[in-house]
Amino acid sequence: MNTFFSDLLYLSVRNIKQIWRPLLALLPNFFIPIFFFAVNSASFRAVSMLPGFPADSYLKFTAPTALFMSVFFSTSNIGIELVLDIASGYFKKLTIMPISRLAIILARLSEAAVLAVIQGGVVLILLLLIGVRVNTGLLGVLAMFGLLILFAMGWSCVGLIAALRTQNPRLVQSMFIIVFPFLYITTSQMPKELLPKTFATFASYNPVTYVLEGVRALMIRGWGDPAIWQGYAVAGAVLVVMVLLTLLSFRKALK
Amino acid sequence: MADSIEVSHLIKRYPGSDSNAVDDISFSVKKGEFFGFLGPNGAGKTTTINMLVNLVKKTGGSVEIAGFEVTEHGLEVYKRIGFAMQEIGLDETASAHEMLELHGRLYHLPQEKIESQIQSLLKLVELEKVADKFTSTYSGGMRRRFDLALALIHEPEVLFLDEPTVGLDPHARQLIWGHLRNLNKKGMTVFLTTHFMDEAEQLCDRIAIIDQGKIITEGTPEELIKKNKVKNMEEVFLKVTGHGLGNEAGNANASDPYAKTMSR
Repeated sequence: MNTFFSDLLYLSVRNIKQIWRPLLALLPNFFIPIFFFAVNSASFRAVSMLPGFPADSYLKFTAPTALFMSVFFSTSNIGIELVLDIASGYFKKLTIMPISRLAIILARLSEAAVLAVIQGGVVLILLLLIGVRVNTGLLGVLAMFGLLILFAMGWSCVGLIAALRTQNPRLVQSMFIIVFPFLYITTSQMPKELLPKTFATFASYNPVTYVLEGVRALMIRGWGDPAIWQGYAVAGAVLVVMVLLTLLSFRKALK
Repeated sequence: MADSIEVSHLIKRYPGSDSNAVDDISFSVKKGEFFGFLGPNGAGKTTTINMLVNLVKKTGGSVEIAGFEVTEHGLEVYKRIGFAMQEIGLDETASAHEMLELHGRLYHLPQEKIESQIQSLLKLVELEKVADKFTSTYSGGMRRRFDLALALIHEPEVLFLDEPTVGLDPHARQLIWGHLRNLNKKGMTVFLTTHFMDEAEQLCDRIAIIDQGKIITEGTPEELIKKNKVKNMEEVFLKVTGHGLGNEAGNANASDPYAKTMSR
């Protein structure tokens, strides 16, 4: 096996083990999306009566948001894991081993992918249990997770860049809050047609909108919806740009 | 004998500083030599060792390890070195066995070699009984011993040790000293920074003392003792630096914003 891929595999396994060590650290990431889903779907039930609302219930409309949110929140763990390695000095050990920096970064992103599947999987099961259905079937579920994984890997780079640039665990942990504007200035709570004009304009520049709409299209609309390929294109572009920026930050991390 | 480490006009100036933390130093370490690099806190020891392994960017000069320039051929250098840092960096969510196995794989050792190295290194540092426990449960001394084992997994040509016996009890220190001597006898080059003058005197073939970023003296322990007309290395150190081991006066490193971290 090529050493790059074997290094990537060994580092990925090491990182993935960290996900459930300790297991309790996973719980908040399940709790928050479920909490928001329960509160919002109950509070905004009547919204689905509005003319032009694209689903027959608010619960169906907001279910993709809950799924997306669970994955979105999981991405903050990746930067925290890296900054803890930096703070402990372990990261320095990795940087003076004969392994490529790209392998170190991609191994962190593979952790993000596995975490996205675990957290998204649990939330999807809960949604299915309360009656939510995926219109595109099993293939659609796979496509949804493909999109979510792509996005989770790209967005996790935000935490990796913060970890490499600041090397400060408290600062990296506080980066979690930037998820909120990116999540809420989208169509996560309301379709674009029902958003105030300025808000809708901001949402159309927010890459998260496209990924969320891709998930929504797969869950409640159908295969013919262009939001699916748009979501993939945006998530792919975010991943490429963010990996390049992370590599740049890696180089600058040397004092 | 060929040089394992060749340092020429090495300079480090940290951003925002108006003086050099390491100020135009040159030295070489022969293959199979045990070389001690001593100096008071904040003198530039850790900055130097970090530049030698490419963890800190040098401002000027050149460093060759095992014939490879460190900044141009980093990967070739990394294959040949082991480094037990002052700051012990362990994966707290892994056991000693898991970490040694991972590092063996990342150095691309054959599986049988990894297994035999794990067994002998764990025995060496007396951690066989806790090999499957998370490193977060280890005491300071156990962590220090394990860190050394980790640096040795791939049997490096050149071993860098930054204060390797700090925090160890006398028994553990003797254990480590004995093993370092054995490794050195087998041909491993060792570059050691230490605060313990007895350690330097007993282990090192040759010693350089750095103060305020400059090498102020260099030679075998016997030569340095004879030249300074004193009884031991501790007195040599006091005489040439003009201050004690824990005294940072004059080195407070106006030049080095990382001095506090370095002197921990």
